[in-house]
This record gives sequence, C-alpha cells and structure tokens, in this order.
Amino acid sequence: MPTLLRQGGVAEDDWKLLAEGEAAPGRIVPLGAWRKAPDGAGVWVEGDAEIDEIGDEIRAAPVVAVRFPAFADGRGLSFASLLRSRYGFRGELRAFGEIVPDLTPYMLRCGFDAFLLASARDAEVALACMGRVDGHYQASATEPTPRFRQPVAE
Amino acid sequence: MYQYTAFDQRFVEARVAQFRDQTERFLAGELDADAFQQLRLRNGLYIQRLAPMLRIAVPYGTLSATQLRAVAAISRRYDKGYGHLSTRQNIQLNWPALEVVPDVLAALAEVQMHCIQTSGSCIRNITTDQFAGVAADEAIDARPYCEIMRQWSTFHPEFDWLPRKFKIAVNGAAADRAATGVHDIGIGVRPAADGTALFDFHVGGGLGRTPVVGSLIREGLPEQHLLTYLEAILRVYNRYGRRDNKYKARIKILVRAMTPERFREHVDAEWAHLRDSESTLPAAEIARIKACFAPPPYADLTDATAELAAQRLKAPAFDRWMRTNVAPHKRAGYAIATLSTKPTGVPPGDVTDQQMEAVADWSERFGFGEVRISHEQNFVLPDVPQRSLRELFDLACEQALGQANAGLLTDMICCPGGDFCALANAKSIPVAEAIQRRFDDYDYLHDLGPLDVNISGCMNACGHHHVGHIGILGVDKRGDEFYQISIGGSQAGTASIGKILGPSFQRAEVPDVIEKILDVYVAQRHEGEPFLQAVQRLGVEPFRQRVYADAA
Repeated sequence: MPTLLRQGGVAEDDWKLLAEGEAAPGRIVPLGAWRKAPDGAGVWVEGDAEIDEIGDEIRAAPVVAVRFPAFADGRGLSFASLLRSRYGFRGELRAFGEIVPDLTPYMLRCGFDAFLLASARDAEVALACMGRVDGHYQASATEPTPRFRQPVAE
Repeated sequence: MYQYTAFDQRFVEARVAQFRDQTERFLAGELDADAFQQLRLRNGLYIQRLAPMLRIAVPYGTLSATQLRAVAAISRRYDKGYGHLSTRQNIQLNWPALEVVPDVLAALAEVQMHCIQTSGSCIRNITTDQFAGVAADEAIDARPYCEIMRQWSTFHPEFDWLPRKFKIAVNGAAADRAATGVHDIGIGVRPAADGTALFDFHVGGGLGRTPVVGSLIREGLPEQHLLTYLEAILRVYNRYGRRDNKYKARIKILVRAMTPERFREHVDAEWAHLRDSESTLPAAEIARIKACFAPPPYADLTDATAELAAQRLKAPAFDRWMRTNVAPHKRAGYAIATLSTKPTGVPPGDVTDQQMEAVADWSERFGFGEVRISHEQNFVLPDVPQRSLRELFDLACEQALGQANAGLLTDMICCPGGDFCALANAKSIPVAEAIQRRFDDYDYLHDLGPLDVNISGCMNACGHHHVGHIGILGVDKRGDEFYQISIGGSQAGTASIGKILGPSFQRAEVPDVIEKILDVYVAQRHEGEPFLQAVQRLGVEPFRQRVYADAA
C-alpha cells in the first residue's frame, strides 16, 4: 500500500493525487486544472517542468508534488532545489512516482519534505536511509552553507 | 597528499554501511535488480561477463605506498592476486564476489579509499596530469583544485542522477598530459599575477560514438568561483541533457545542439544566480587544501648529469629507459620515473599483487611514499633522486616493470575488451599482444619515436582510440570481430580526433596493417619528424593507398 512520509515520519495522506479532474481544496491536480481554481489545491508537476516559467506562479500553493518518471531521472532534483532556493517555496514539496527509498536522502537535501513510497516496507527503509548520513560536503537547498564555511566540529 | 579529516573518514565508513545494507537487501530479494544496479554502480561495482568488476577510486591518480599495499592485499584475499590500472587513473579488480564487496569496501576505508562514483551517471573520478606537483613544465599544481572538486562532487544531492556519466579533467602544465580536450569538462589552470589560479573551461569534449573536442566557454575564471561555476554547468546539463537516448545523453550532444554560444549563455544566466553565494571558495579553504599538497622534504641535491651520462654509455638498455621513461623534475637532482605495465604478453595495465608491493616499497625507498597512476595505465614514481635511477631501473626489470617503452608503440592504451567486458564488441587484449609480439625490436621502436596506439573494444571508447596516433576500434560485423583503424588522433595540446582509414580488418590482419602504416611513415618522414606530424603533413591518403593496395 502506498505510504506517505512527511517531516520524518509516516503520515496520513490528507491529499488526493489526481492525474485529471478539477481542482478543489485537498486535491493535487496538474497545472492546467490548478490554474482554474488554485485556492486550497495542490499542484502536480513533472520533473522536467520549466521552473522559470511556473516558479513564481506555484510558489503560493500549499503542496507541490513532483513526479519522477524513473528513479534515475534527476531533473526533479533540480526542479525542487530551484523551487525552494530561488522561488522561496515554503509549502509541502512532495516526491511521487518511481521513488527508490535509498534516494530519499538526496531528495530531502533538494528540498523535498514528503515522499509517497510504494509500500510500508519502502517507507521503513527510506526512514532508515534518511537517518544514516550525518554530514555533507556541499551546499544544498536545505543547507546553503557548505561544510568548508561551517565551524569545525571535529 | 591529502589526508582524511575525521569527517572524511566517518563519511566513507557511512558509505560502507550503506552499501552493506543495500547488498543484503538485494540478496534477500528486497531490492529489485534495476534499483540495485544503479546503487552498486555508484559504488564502482559492475556485473561483468565472467564476474563482478570493482573499480577503486584513486583521486587524480595519486595514492600512498600504504594504500597500494592495501590494494595488493585485497587483491590477494578477495581476488586472483592482480589488479588493472584504468584509463581514469583508477584500479580495478576483476573477480571479487558480490557477497564480499562490502568487506572489500571496509578494508579500503581503513586506508582512506573508496569506490564512490567510479561508475554510474554521476560525476566520476576527477583526473589530472600524472606528473602534477613535480613536472618541470608545470605552471600550477592542479591537485588541490581536484581535491576541492572531489569533495564538492561527492554525493552531490542534485547531480548524482545525471543524464549520463560525467568526466572532469584538469591540467596545469604546458603539455596537456590529462587529455582535457576530450572530457565533459576540461579545465586548464594557469597562475594569475597574484599567485592565485585562473581557470579556462572547455565543455562538451568526449570520445564514444561522437568524438569531439570541447568548446572553450569561459576564460580566466578566478579561483574562488570554481564551485559556483561548476554548479551552473551541471545544473544546465542536468535539466536539459537528453535522457531519451543513452547515446545522445552526454553533455557534448547538448552543447552541440544548443551551440557552444547558447550553452554559454545558459550557464552564465544560471551562474548570475549562484555567483558569490556561500559556495564561493574562501582563500582560507583553498590554503587549507593546498597545504595538504605542500612539497615533501626534498634534499638539497644537484643534477647528476655526468654520472648518468656515464651509466647510460655503459648500458644501452638503461639509456633507452632514460630516454623514454624518465621525465624532468621541478627540483634539481630529482627525476620522475614511469614504470611501464606493458611487457609483451601481459594485458596493458594489469599488475600483480607482488608488483604493487614492489612499487610501494620503491616509492618509499626512492621517494616519499607516493605513487601515481597515469591514464596511459602505467605507474609513476614522482620523486626519484637521479643518483638512484640506475638502481630503480634494475629492480624494475626484475619485476617486469622496466620496459623502456613509455610513449612508444608498445605502450598501448587498451580497455579490458571482450575478454572481460559485457559491452565490448570485440576483444582488445589479444590485439595489443599481437602488436607487441610483432614489434619487439627496441631499436626499431625507439627509431619510430613517440607513438600512441590506443585500442577500444567498442564505441564506448574506454581505450581512447579516437585520440591515438593510431586508433584501433573493435566492431561487430554479423557476429564476427573486426577492427577499424584510424590515424592522426592526438590527446596533447590541441586534441584532435583520428581519421578512419577505411573498411575494417580481421584480428589477424591488424599487425600487418600497423606495419604498412609505419612503412609509409618511415619512408616519407622528414628528419626528426614524429609520426603524428608526418600524418598531419601527408594526410591520410598515402597511408590508405598502401594499406588497401592489395585489395584494389
């Protein structure tokens, strides 16, 4: 059963993810539908969406859900990084589609804070993966200060 | 050499634990094969034709005696007692069983080594001049900048799932021994008036199916901007590089499709956002990394010119080795020695555990415990006192590492080919051996002079055939192995891509074809004119006519 992780734990999914249909509060719908009734609705975008054309528009949405057509397709990572760091998006940034639990630590650093995993077991593995890494070299959307500018802790 | 901080060590150990967990989940059937494939590739593990192949990262081709001994011990314990020096200056093990790879990674971590990002569609090991830091013709030591980029690129959250593999090479010397022209990014480093570094960025070079020399998109970038500018290039590539066709996914295809000018505009527009961000390098950070590469405690030596001249006069074999395998050093009284892994009958780049241990010992006895691996798949000892060269040569000969063929015909670059690699169309190692057997006369080889023969078993071009003065490419013709020959390629200075002579040949014909090409060269060369220049002057035609004369 699909399982949602949000803010580091399993969560009840209070959003409906719809590939088609009209926008309404509590629904995540593709951009075209969302534009017609954006209030209270979330946006479904593809990982290869052109952020510079829609970033300003979608930054006010409560949820942006980015679909990964394949787990090895890294375009959604750039999209998320830019939506957070350049467009100042503060809502829930959700990854869905083909998500391998082992990749969630990267996605987290690109600004995703919610993941729709294929199963409860995947969600459990993802939590373990996200808990494992304790530091990074480079800056990211969630930590704009690279390691070399941080006070030395060792 | 760079020494791990406590953080670096923890980081690598965490990667071992992560890979152990992934391997266990895969073996338990919890992780599907496609996902595990991508994850294991990012730890350097291929499943090959006969067994897994594990590629160990040797950042910018530099390792310590301790590290080399550890690799030798690992090859003995977990493999068949030998390793393979790769064209990306790494070391590959050909036979480790999947189940023991986590243990191999743990053993590597003990000596500050890993396999991170040695394969997969991510930023690969960053390479540079194997003589960096010691070459007489060097303007600036590229290694500190390579290390800065290594750290930045390691598990980069945004750029670990690129359209395709991504290779960066850096060169700070007059001669380009790092082949920067044929890399996804080739960086030339030169000193500014104040002693800081300036970078010239070439983007979109590469071999493979579409060989092309990179385009210059930024000249003289000040050193503090290194990472933000790289970030801009990688972001443009990650967003716009093709993902629908793996043969069109390299950055060279994007640069060509956009044109270099438009590509540069895209990068500049992205960089305008990133420039002066916190990823800008503080002078203190550059100084910290540079300090790791400070010169070792050299003795005050003088050049041993007269002594060496006398030794060379007495021993023609030593004289030949001095001519080809010894390069001038920055410091008086020292020299750089290349230990060729290419005696006849051994696959180029293959080294036994004993040879690795011997090289480690010599690096301590005749230097400061540092070893380099060149992209020509040889070992290099960077700090040999000139007065010890003769002794080193004798020891190297005992270990079959004393061939006087660096840069000559028999110093071939050769991929593992169809004997090992699942991608190959044809075998490459037997071709190399057949050529070495045909041309075994040292006087003839030295008379021919500098000659790069590069062999790849398929279009992926791991053997860099396009930039060989003579390039040999294995092709599949209705299930049979054939070989296409090109001439006039070059990796040095302004890189150039070789021109194909014509229809391909059967394996047994290849040595004859090479001999005919060399006959034309010897007959038509000017006094002192190297092969490459002769081809550039004469063009391909006279060679083509001779090679295909019988068929006409």
